[in-house]
Amino acid sequence: MPEINEISKIRRKVLTELAQMTFEGRLHSDVENILHTVVTEEGPRYRCCVHKERAVLQDRVKSALSQPMDISMTEAAAAALAGVVSDSPIIQVLPVACDQCPLDRFIVTDACRNCLAHSCIASCPKKAISVVANRSFIDKTKCVECGLCKRSCPYGAIIEISRPCERACELGAIAADKARKAVIDYSLCVHCGACKMACPFGAISDRSMIVQVIQQIKAGRRVYALLAPAFIGQFGIQVRPGQVLASLKKVGFHDTLEVSVGADAVAVEEAREFIERNREPKGQVMTTSCCPAFVGMVEKHLPTMKDNISSLVSPMVAAAMDVKKNDPEGIVVFIGPCIAKKSEAQRYPGIVDFVLTFEELATLIVGAGVNVTEMDAGSFASAGSKDGNIFARAGGVLQAVQNVLSQLAPDVELQAERCEGLGNCKKCLQEIEAGKRNTNLFEGMACTGGCVGGPGVLTDSRITTKLVENFAGASLEKSAVANPKSEELIKLGLHRPHEQHKDSPAD
Amino acid sequence: MLIVEICMGTCCHLMGAQDLLDVLDALPADQRRLIEFKGVTCFKNCGKGPSVKINGNFLANATPELLFEVLQTNLQ
Repeated sequence: MPEINEISKIRRKVLTELAQMTFEGRLHSDVENILHTVVTEEGPRYRCCVHKERAVLQDRVKSALSQPMDISMTEAAAAALAGVVSDSPIIQVLPVACDQCPLDRFIVTDACRNCLAHSCIASCPKKAISVVANRSFIDKTKCVECGLCKRSCPYGAIIEISRPCERACELGAIAADKARKAVIDYSLCVHCGACKMACPFGAISDRSMIVQVIQQIKAGRRVYALLAPAFIGQFGIQVRPGQVLASLKKVGFHDTLEVSVGADAVAVEEAREFIERNREPKGQVMTTSCCPAFVGMVEKHLPTMKDNISSLVSPMVAAAMDVKKNDPEGIVVFIGPCIAKKSEAQRYPGIVDFVLTFEELATLIVGAGVNVTEMDAGSFASAGSKDGNIFARAGGVLQAVQNVLSQLAPDVELQAERCEGLGNCKKCLQEIEAGKRNTNLFEGMACTGGCVGGPGVLTDSRITTKLVENFAGASLEKSAVANPKSEELIKLGLHRPHEQHKDSPAD
Repeated sequence: MLIVEICMGTCCHLMGAQDLLDVLDALPADQRRLIEFKGVTCFKNCGKGPSVKINGNFLANATPELLFEVLQTNLQ
């Protein structure tokens, strides 16, 4: 997570105000106040005028309420309060906010010397380049953005510019339409959130279910918080895990459970599946399945490798199944660093009811008037083992599965490899499929650094990685195999149901 | 000695209090020595965060750039 910028601040202000109004029971009547508290007459101003800024803000509010863009803010507030979640995609381009980046892909810079060779003019297959005002000029009406001129210029005077969202998406799922507005191709998008983090106008947003969650709490339902292992340090480096749990209790969550317990069970069962798949001497590669954006990438971009993904549900789903077994009426809210989990949860209706990011949770806590740093830490020991807790950082899943393998099948032949970033994962898997790599166990993580580097975090991933490592090292349960909870969860049946395993309607 | 109190409460944390701490850590050693840092849980000024107090003077909506400037002025 880079420095907190204005986009993050606006998003967090909106979410905090929505949460506060919901807790205080005045969201429906007061929602339009946000237009005046978040965007003030005095500025600062990022758009042409205060009206545009408020129009953009309306989109942000509707996205934060998980409502469609074509209804009024008051209608959106009423729908969210009633628990309605629109079936719009998890990540979308906010129509007014997209600044239609007026980027011409190829630009002639001041470095052009109007040389005699004019290799740019010679190179252009569309005759789009001429000399104007002693410099090469690209006629945009003729240019087809082939890039030959850029390559031909001996001075490197023609540069290529790309839109930040397009550059961020390693799967080519976002592009500008004819009106230069960014459009997401949902047949390619896996909801990783990279474009959201990249857009300098904050025009791409994931929808939030923060109001719907608060309503469940206020209705007196037993709402369970499932905390992803990356929660360590999210609320400040000095904050103790016990303080986070105490805060969740205070805002009204019935109970908090650690997803690292689900991770323990997944590590054990995934190791067993690996052993099973490698009974034959020439075994097949098996990939991890806990990162939903990685799984989505394989399904949408490398469909021939779909069966190589381990058949395990993610730790989130495993932990949620455990809650529902003990309390079928309970409401499960997964809280993690991830946007793609929101999409994954749609595949498990009635198991994972809601997904919040750490950022959204923090705004909910602040909206409830609770300050994590002022809570008592109490005594806290992780219910997950070291193996389950290191799932939060890149390489952790692989390490956990390897630890289990060393206990269950020390002789199994293991060629492990891992990648961070969807582009890297894709490339590496393609090489494995082509037989260029001798890998049989592969960990794929969409985010750099693993989950701690996700788009919904509050703390720099390098710091969180260290904190996760310390926290995991202090786990009382020393391994996933030794954790008695692992077998208990495995009995629930942790393999992905194939009939449910279709793309969500939003895709 | 310059007493710098930074609010580490959840509201200020959301608005980037951690980035302010990084400003202190990035100061040259001879300047850092002149600063006594205190973490505070809340200044009761939520909504205008991140909040900082420098020798008792309140700084609301602090940004790393702003804090750096104020520190330099005070250290002169």
